[in-house]
Amino acid sequence: MPVFQVIINSIIRASELSLIAIGLTLVYDLLKFANFAHTEYAVVGVYLALVFNVNLGLNIFTSVLLSAIFTGLIALSIDRMVFRRMRDSGRVILMVTSFGLGLAMRNTIRAIWGPTPRSYTIALQKPISFLGIRITPVQIWIIATAVIFMVAFHLLLHKTKLGKAMRASSDNPALAQASGIATEGVILWVWFIATSFAAVGGILIALETYLLPHMGFAIIIPVFCATILGGIGNPYGAMLGALALGFAENFGLYLNFGNIINLGGLFDFVKEMHIPTGYRDAISFGILIAILLTKPSGILGRKS
Amino acid sequence: MIQYLAYLSIMTGIYGILSLSLNLQYGFTGLANFGHVAFFCLGAYTSTILVVLVKGPFILGLLGGMVAAGLFGFLISIPTANLKEDYWAIATLAAAEIVRLFFLNEDWIFGRGPYHGGAFGIGGIPRPLQSWFSATTYPFFYLCIVILCLVLTYFTVRFLTNSPFGRVLKAMREGDDLPLAMGKDVSKFRMKAMAFGGAMGGLAGSLVAHFWSFIDPYQFMPIETFVVWAMVVVGGKGNNIGALVGAVIIQFFYSSTLFLKDFIPIDAQVLASLRMVVIGVLIVLIMLFMKEGLIKEKKRIYQG
Repeated sequence: MPVFQVIINSIIRASELSLIAIGLTLVYDLLKFANFAHTEYAVVGVYLALVFNVNLGLNIFTSVLLSAIFTGLIALSIDRMVFRRMRDSGRVILMVTSFGLGLAMRNTIRAIWGPTPRSYTIALQKPISFLGIRITPVQIWIIATAVIFMVAFHLLLHKTKLGKAMRASSDNPALAQASGIATEGVILWVWFIATSFAAVGGILIALETYLLPHMGFAIIIPVFCATILGGIGNPYGAMLGALALGFAENFGLYLNFGNIINLGGLFDFVKEMHIPTGYRDAISFGILIAILLTKPSGILGRKS
Repeated sequence: MIQYLAYLSIMTGIYGILSLSLNLQYGFTGLANFGHVAFFCLGAYTSTILVVLVKGPFILGLLGGMVAAGLFGFLISIPTANLKEDYWAIATLAAAEIVRLFFLNEDWIFGRGPYHGGAFGIGGIPRPLQSWFSATTYPFFYLCIVILCLVLTYFTVRFLTNSPFGRVLKAMREGDDLPLAMGKDVSKFRMKAMAFGGAMGGLAGSLVAHFWSFIDPYQFMPIETFVVWAMVVVGGKGNNIGALVGAVIIQFFYSSTLFLKDFIPIDAQVLASLRMVVIGVLIVLIMLFMKEGLIKEKKRIYQG
């Protein structure tokens, strides 16, 4: 496989993960807990898009937008029923609640749509070849969508009043509230943005592969890894973390570690040494442990 | 029916041990261990290796499983001992998946053969003293072994938590400042809690391996961790009787719903999913309205 192809694959993976990681980091920072149900919101979005796209026959773009909005609304109603009553609870209590919630969400989806893989109705993908790389139109759309959403998010955070309120509330909730910023209102907006971004990210994954009820749980460790790598509370860090993780996962499997052991050809200890593909998920775990050991605040994290 | 009751009691006993050991870590020490199934898995596999491959006696398998799982608990707490509880949860969740990936991918352990090892699992794990009993009486004998182990675990946990060691654990639950001020090395206590709890989880693992006489990596999915969490949370964290009551309730619910499909025409897959939805919702409800669980922790109040 040419190295350019590995780079493209890394960028695609990063595009999918970053939109989900942004949301996780926002909620984590504002509400001060690790939301283990976050990736399940992505799956809710994925299956809502299936309803719009396949059952109602809408095109995929409309389906993505509608599903993002509806996922955000579902998150708001869950916040009202559950998390709003627990604003003062400790981290562990909130974390346990969120995994209970995630368990219920994942299995509700499984009960409704069953465990078999499904797919959206999109045109048959003919890969475009150039420079020895093969990329399908959907994959180009995945990268483009992620970039559009990231730019939109950047503008939201820096050019709007809501963005200013979000930044203020995350820096210092008490001060923000004293300055007349309605922290509760900001929390609702953050839930909405975080989960609708997750929905879009989830749909991007589903577009490239297929829809599965447990696809959210399958990415929980990579998404947390990207978030922590970038530094909790920093959305740009989450993007960077996702990019780093995308490259690490793909190059980790691509590289021949035998070269390193042979010191670049000086010796001939081993011929080939690759990480077996079955351990792809172990790469994000390894990075997670390394980052927790050396710099738990992440690359772009604030010192706590 | 009586056969089924014996089966149900054995499984309840085994999960009771898991529930007690998680309670030691979460309920008493406040460690959010989201990877408890790793101990279960390691205990089962180590015991199987020792009995099937090394041809050791059952008791060697039990002890070996406990040592391996305890050692693993100790090892994963070295890099994570000083982390905040949310990082801890993510790290343990990831560690458990790595253990499972290891046994899924390393199919050479049990010798290569058709439909053997790795994803195919290992069959023919000998049951202790099986030749002494008939097929119908054997479960009752095994139930006695399980009850013996459960009682031993119960008294060990009770002894540990009532000792000065346990008081330090309970103090750590409220934050590190107090035990640190008393000159206690909190990370060492965390490691010990993980090692002891891990060994008990390993015991449950080897018991289940020799009872089923078949294990594969799919029996040790992260979902098992959350079932045990539900037991601790429902029964009452920080209370050993509560942990056991929780194990009985959840296991009874889990198993009795199997019969539901005989009364209502419902797809087995859907039923399995709905069962997990109920467990998830139960965790959320307990966290919302009954944080202490069914049986509250007995807190000693010192007057001063």
